Amino acid sequence: MTLHAIDLGVRAGDDCLVAPCSFRLAAGENLTLLGETGAGKSLLAQAIMGTLPAGLEAHGEVRFDDRELLGLPPGERRKLWGRELVLLPQEPWHALDPLMRAGEQVRETYRFVAGDDANPARERTRRALARLGLDRAARRLPGELSGGMAQRLAFAAATAAGGRLVIADEPTKGLDADRRDEVVSLLQEAQRDGGMLLTITHDIRVARRLGGRVMILRDGRCVEEGDAAEVLRRPRSDFGRRLLAADPAEWPARDTPPRALGEPVLRAHGLGKTLGGRALFEGLSLALSPGEVVGITGPSGCGKSTLGNLLLGLGQPDRGHVERAAGIAPHRFQKLYQDPPAAFAPHWTLGTLLDDLLRRHRLAYDRVPPLLERLRLSPALLSRRPGEVSGGELQRLSLLRVLLLDPVLLFADEPTSRLDPLTQREILPLMTDLARERDCALLLVSHDRELIHHSCDRTIALAGDTSMPQPGLAAVATAE
Amino acid sequence: MIATLSLLPSRWRALPHARRWGAGLLLALLAVAWLLPLAMPLDPARQDLMNILAAPSLAEPLGTDHLGRSQLARMAAAIRLSTGMALVSVLSAALPGVLLGVLAGWRGGWTDRALGLVADCVLALPGLLLVLLLAAIAPGQFWALYVGIALVLWVEYFRVVRATTRSLAASPQLQASRLLGFGHGYLLRRHLWPALAPAVSTLAAFGAANAILAIAALGFVSIGLEPPTAELGLMMTELLPYYREAPWIILQPIAVLFLLVLGCQLLAGREPQ
Repeated sequence: MTLHAIDLGVRAGDDCLVAPCSFRLAAGENLTLLGETGAGKSLLAQAIMGTLPAGLEAHGEVRFDDRELLGLPPGERRKLWGRELVLLPQEPWHALDPLMRAGEQVRETYRFVAGDDANPARERTRRALARLGLDRAARRLPGELSGGMAQRLAFAAATAAGGRLVIADEPTKGLDADRRDEVVSLLQEAQRDGGMLLTITHDIRVARRLGGRVMILRDGRCVEEGDAAEVLRRPRSDFGRRLLAADPAEWPARDTPPRALGEPVLRAHGLGKTLGGRALFEGLSLALSPGEVVGITGPSGCGKSTLGNLLLGLGQPDRGHVERAAGIAPHRFQKLYQDPPAAFAPHWTLGTLLDDLLRRHRLAYDRVPPLLERLRLSPALLSRRPGEVSGGELQRLSLLRVLLLDPVLLFADEPTSRLDPLTQREILPLMTDLARERDCALLLVSHDRELIHHSCDRTIALAGDTSMPQPGLAAVATAE
Repeated sequence: MIATLSLLPSRWRALPHARRWGAGLLLALLAVAWLLPLAMPLDPARQDLMNILAAPSLAEPLGTDHLGRSQLARMAAAIRLSTGMALVSVLSAALPGVLLGVLAGWRGGWTDRALGLVADCVLALPGLLLVLLLAAIAPGQFWALYVGIALVLWVEYFRVVRATTRSLAASPQLQASRLLGFGHGYLLRRHLWPALAPAVSTLAAFGAANAILAIAALGFVSIGLEPPTAELGLMMTELLPYYREAPWIILQPIAVLFLLVLGCQLLAGREPQ
């Protein structure tokens, strides 16, 4: 059993989206495609599956055993889905039927895709769920499962029909370190009994843990390939080196010396919050001073964002209170969002929205060009709508938008978790530098401990997260 | 209707074919109804008993009815009446529907529950019954008809607008704008209305079609307006006895009703995304 891609490329009319590249996967092997968003990684996966969007065309050859896939009629290729080729859903929530019980969703695949009789299908479902530790979840609805369980369930349903080539497209996007490791072990499961695994990711740490072979793609071109251990330690290409350096674990240590802290702009006293019957934090007191960068870290669902929102006054604490320094205008407490496009009115050009802001606060336009330059943004972007610029550009534009108001406190809620590592490498230091320059307190929430460690002056670790790499930096959450 | 009003030349070409046809059809009918009387004297009430049930001729392009009245004048008057009443009904349904929907979706809590209850109660009443009731209270009055229709139609706008507003009210884009210091008016103008407009204009076009049909149906069962008003449903009833002698005359109000409703439906139809 092999998958052999020979000069496989993707075209849209005359535009070449993915330059021809070749690779080979044999039983029990795995290959990781590594690269930025827009590098054409997902297109390659879709070309192999036969799910390219209309208007795009694959060329070259894809040999799966002795069959040439690209030449097969669509109906024939569809028959391979599930039985031979499996595409793991990126967001398990969107792939599962919200109204069907967990066990049923897997049994359905055994029964109707693999073609088992009713009884064997039930038995195999039971075993598949038990193997993934889901035996007690069989009667639950997807909404009652945790994120990790939903991912395992989607995996069980997708692979139930015995597909031997598993393609995972960005399986770890936006997951914290623990969940990420969980998904990686799940993927290795697919490879265990002679299956083949093709993973698409922008996360170097995933590629490293998966091992096997790695191909680095850039702008639809393969720049480097080889053994993961080799390529990810000593990349030969310039791009490979940059990609590696973008991993927060590799960032240079901060060189700005800790500075004398001014009078706090915001104090919180004895904050407590319970959400869904679970106490997120209790008796939490802290003070934020101008120009300091404070990180909040912890596993997903531990209340990091909730804490930030409470401090900004976007929610009410159950106990305790938040106190702002007197005499500061309310609009100088600002927030940056995880998903930049979601934070803009989508129907208007960015220039219109910026003009609205300038007019609302009677600001002169001459404040904008220097900021555009400092954030390395082209003024031409302002004539586009939020959906028409990249995530990284839009996040810098939202930074520009809040900086116009001279913020004293900026709460950045996972500001780079939806962005590429290279973009993150560029934006995050810019954000912390600007905050320090402008005497703005920056409250940075992230699930990535390395990133927090390399960016922040001190750290608030939530929910018993005691594994901070450098205890000296971590101020105890209750210390004021 | 709202879509028609905001049609600009540049947006015309962006419209899908079906909507272009719908808008064209409606504009043609409206032009006949409103512009023709400016060009020639048309009196829908002037009788000429010497010339009844005349076939179409150069002097009377659509013929005459059983009282010798000009069919062209009567059709033009009927279109003006139907579209005018439809427009008024749609506006008076859309306005409270949208405003209450925004209010309920935005405020949530008790406001939302109370308004939702009222909407459910209105939906529980059969719509036609409500209109019939009002028409019976004030026979032959314009206001009774359109108030009745508006009372039934506003719930649709309310529900759609409430659902959209509720999901938007909790969205990061609104939170961001509020943090930046913008007020309610701004949030409505820049965030809410652009998200609501497509659904509201579609509902308005369907609502107009429904209103035209409802008015004609009431006229046909002689509950709505009274003779000698030129009204599509009423004309069908009046002309029905003469279908054998002058079939072309009874066909006229039927065809116009069909075209009006078709135009609205085409205008409302969106291509599946």
